[in-house]
Amino acid sequence: MNLRVENVSFRYPSGVLALDGVNAEIASGEVVGILGENGAGKTTLVKLFNGLLRPSQGKVWIGDWDTADHSTAALAARVGFLFQNPDDQLFERTVAREVAYGPRNQGASEAQVKRRVAQALKLVGLQAQADSHPYDLPQPQRKLLALAATIAMQTPILVLDEPTIGQDEVGRTTIGHIVNSLHQMGRTLIIITHDVDFCAQHAQRILVMLQGKVHVDGAASEVLIQTKILDEAEVAPPQLVRLAQALKMPAAPLNVEDFVDEYKQWRKKRKK
Amino acid sequence: MIRLKKFSYWYPATEQHALDRITLDIPEGQFLGIVGANGAGKSTLCYALSGFVPHFYNGELEGELSFDNTPMAELDLGKLAGQVGLVFQNPFNQISGARFTVREEIAFGLENLGVPRAEMRDRIEEAMELVNIQELAERSPFSVSGGQQQRIAIASILAMQPRVLVLDEPTSQLDPDGTRDVFAALSKLVSTRKITVIIAEHKLEWLATFCDRVIALANGRLRAEGSPQDVLSSEQMLRLGVGRTQYSEAAARLLRSKQLPVTLEQAKKALQ
Amino acid sequence: MPSMRGGTIYVEGRSGLHKLHPLTKLALSGLCFACAAALPGLPWLLGMFVLVLMPLAIWGRITRAFLKACLLVVGPFLLSLAIIQGFFHGGDTVLFQLGRFTYTLEGLMAGLLFAARLLVALGGTLLLMQSTDQAQLMQALTERGFPARIAYVVLTAIQIFPSFQDRAQVIMDAQQARGLELQTGALNRARLLLPMVGPLILGSVMDVSERAMALEARGFSSPAQKTSLHSLADSASQRTLRWLLVAAALGLLAWRVGSALA
Repeated sequence: MNLRVENVSFRYPSGVLALDGVNAEIASGEVVGILGENGAGKTTLVKLFNGLLRPSQGKVWIGDWDTADHSTAALAARVGFLFQNPDDQLFERTVAREVAYGPRNQGASEAQVKRRVAQALKLVGLQAQADSHPYDLPQPQRKLLALAATIAMQTPILVLDEPTIGQDEVGRTTIGHIVNSLHQMGRTLIIITHDVDFCAQHAQRILVMLQGKVHVDGAASEVLIQTKILDEAEVAPPQLVRLAQALKMPAAPLNVEDFVDEYKQWRKKRKK
Repeated sequence: MIRLKKFSYWYPATEQHALDRITLDIPEGQFLGIVGANGAGKSTLCYALSGFVPHFYNGELEGELSFDNTPMAELDLGKLAGQVGLVFQNPFNQISGARFTVREEIAFGLENLGVPRAEMRDRIEEAMELVNIQELAERSPFSVSGGQQQRIAIASILAMQPRVLVLDEPTSQLDPDGTRDVFAALSKLVSTRKITVIIAEHKLEWLATFCDRVIALANGRLRAEGSPQDVLSSEQMLRLGVGRTQYSEAAARLLRSKQLPVTLEQAKKALQ
Repeated sequence: MPSMRGGTIYVEGRSGLHKLHPLTKLALSGLCFACAAALPGLPWLLGMFVLVLMPLAIWGRITRAFLKACLLVVGPFLLSLAIIQGFFHGGDTVLFQLGRFTYTLEGLMAGLLFAARLLVALGGTLLLMQSTDQAQLMQALTERGFPARIAYVVLTAIQIFPSFQDRAQVIMDAQQARGLELQTGALNRARLLLPMVGPLILGSVMDVSERAMALEARGFSSPAQKTSLHSLADSASQRTLRWLLVAAALGLLAWRVGSALA
């Protein structure tokens, strides 16, 4: 399912112009990282996707739906949303019931609900905690639970707002695996984050926001190496890109394996 | 300045050690980093170093915990405030709520300590300058972003001029800019005021750049300690769920040297 | 431009009224309560409002905000008192009839009188709240021995409430994003309760211990004698004025009680 943002502006009631003439099209199955400093308009943009905010100008299309014609609850069938703070949504007595809440709202049959809950919990690795109380889990795991609750809604599009905040390396790796699995299932993923290295490893496309506008939009391998443009948007380039440039290597790879290959070739050439 | 000898701690009504026979000596003026997976005991250690264990959290203690050669148990939080400052992760909960502007919020701690008015004014300006929030002085602390709130929280503690500053994941809500400001402010404090800074963090590159010494925890036990480069580049960090920087990962595949780089500068030197 | 702070109705300003010591204004609002209870008739009460409270509001440059607040607070009472008293108070001077009910002038006047008492009583308090930073009011009180812990609770309650509303909004967003339909009948309203209130309460409970720790870290239980950032300007004449205001209030009440007994 494609997502299209057509010439969208958004002004908060306070008068702040948070989005200013944004255009973007995200194709089915893409993994898109949205980067930018705080206040650049990242969260405002994605809140338009499920109707939590309505554009002051322009249109947002989710497949063949104009978001203006649908409630947030209806849009929830197409766009899943992981909020930054899991504690803003957890309220059920058990982990399994929490995950079942979304699918039940969608009117799924009990058999479907059960299957979806089991799948989602397996994906995030919380099967063993299915009967625990959500608040007996530590905060990083509550985030995984909230993610499972979003995944179980089986929406074609998923928005993740800062999924790696407060996670340790194990949690970060887990979330990386989950993103990869969802990508393989063909879901569209839109990830807002400050974690550039996470984007370098998991996103194919990067959209950088600056002062309510799309500053740059393109393939991750092309955008993340443009240090000057990233600097303008106060985004620090990935570590390996910085290293490659510090060494004055001709190419700037995004993952360790590519870096190692590029480095070896570069050293060989330099010896000659 | 703070000394732990075979110090163990159990939270009330738990059987599992939160801290397990930790021996640690923190001299005055040191910038100490604490790493570890979630649940490794980082927060608990922060509470112990700032006196909240045992004065806020009850539970059982074993071994020695002393501040300036006085057993921590003989001190109380009222006396420790102004000596030891604690900053934690969630910015919202650190805003007292009893004052209406940022300047007054920072004053709150000083008022409690009975600092004279003229001195209070100077200290507030200085603290705001350190974390770069002068322009927020007259705003309501509830009307600013999470990242700005966290800087207000840090300034509020800094203004109290503690001899020891303990920070439990203070930058998890901050963007890269905010993180840089906080670390830069802390390192300036250590070098100009000789105060002791203890910080629990996941952001390894920053720890490696600024800390004098790093310790790693797992399951409440001290597993590694030493220079940031020695500790953070070691393979053990992968097993402890701490992870390594991309610089270390790339270098590990390219160099046979025992001491791998952790920061950009170190990596540049090692790979040139 | 007048601005609001947190959940207060304070209108920032630098007028003479703003600069009066909070306790002076507190004494004045006390006198207003005494006037409301003791003044004998409508002309006296309206005189008090027009000749004392209004000039003070003009002096404080909060006239519009003050009148608006008075209207908002007293307006609904005025309307319902005028209707109820007019129909049910009784009296001989019938103004009009509505079926079996008669509306009398005496009733109308009784309603107006009651509304005017409210206007004077609440007007004084509104004047105090709109021209005084609540933190400074609490400071003035704690400097006179009012418990600091109670002052803290009052001030945080004022400020935390709006952020509670913000959090409720986020929770509502989060649950709608999970397919919770908001705009449906009463039966479904009940279904909304748990998903909305659950996170709000659980979240706040979890916040409590962290907030308590943060407060300790700020030296809240430090044994030191507390100081304050702002000095509250006071003067001998204001102190005298305060005693006069209190004496006038007590005098009025005593006179009222005395004449009622006589």
